[in-house]
Amino acid sequence: MSYSDKVLDHYNNPRNVGSFAKDDPNVGTGVVGAPECGDVMKLQLKINDSGVIEDARFKTFGCGSAIASSSYVTELVKGKHIDEAMAIKNTLIVKELNLPPVKIHCSVLAEDAIKAAISDWKKHKDGAEEPQAARAQEK
Amino acid sequence: MICESCGAPVGADLDCFAALGLPRKLVLDPAALERAYHELSRRIHPDRFAQASARARDASLRSTALLTRSYRTLRDPVARGLYWLELRGEKLAENNKSVPSELAELVFEVQDELAELRGARGSEIQALRDRTVARRGELESAMNDLRERLARNFERWDNADHDAKGLVADLKAILSQIAYLRTLIRDVDRELENLKAA
Repeated sequence: MSYSDKVLDHYNNPRNVGSFAKDDPNVGTGVVGAPECGDVMKLQLKINDSGVIEDARFKTFGCGSAIASSSYVTELVKGKHIDEAMAIKNTLIVKELNLPPVKIHCSVLAEDAIKAAISDWKKHKDGAEEPQAARAQEK
Repeated sequence: MICESCGAPVGADLDCFAALGLPRKLVLDPAALERAYHELSRRIHPDRFAQASARARDASLRSTALLTRSYRTLRDPVARGLYWLELRGEKLAENNKSVPSELAELVFEVQDELAELRGARGSEIQALRDRTVARRGELESAMNDLRERLARNFERWDNADHDAKGLVADLKAILSQIAYLRTLIRDVDRELENLKAA
């Protein structure tokens, strides 16, 4: 299988790799996995009080497409309001990175990671009871 | 798999258990599986049908392919569990994206250690390598625990009158954790191999 140029670029020069402090109240952390292939993705979003995503970091252990999807997503969400970010669909990632059908689940993973990270941030903010894992399960 | 009256191979659309003439049970005796596989492969082997009709030759080839695929699927407990989900129309990834937090912590911790090992130079390499080898042992024993949990899940399926929904969720959770751990162990091994090659 050959990767698109855009995937290769994000894979070879991943943007925003790393972590924020987990206990920073402005940071939402989303950890999701793809049990078919064992890939694990962590996406962290730094969100200000008006709900705008100021910065993003990721760590993904998996195939090139999973790494590229998460790298792309960190660029995509920066500057967006969480409501806009919540509306991001995996199909956009597929289109942008030109992912082949067997790698579509990588884009779904990235979409889920955004949602999980925002839910986690909301949880710190409202002190809501609902745990992040339960929200991720609703998908 | 074999016609009662003429001994010819039949039925290339059987499920994996039926193909091997085994009951549809998750707990199976590896020796019995092995025996069934060898006995059947001998009886439907394409060499025995070299002079037979085109239809019989074709049936022999297709049945042999099915038999081999079935044997490989059932021989490995993880593949057997995944196949069981498939038989029930369940998908492993469905409603199953969250990684148990302890396991996620472990993945990120070990991956950080691997990154350190990759970046290590000179005298620090040995200690970091030893740490990773020790990790490898821990991960292996965690994998063994999961395999035991899988075996217990299989027993519960076979003892029927349980809530199937709970068993499906449990099976999916175990198989997912095995997948995450397997990927992690693969990455650890790759790093240790690179070190040997260097």
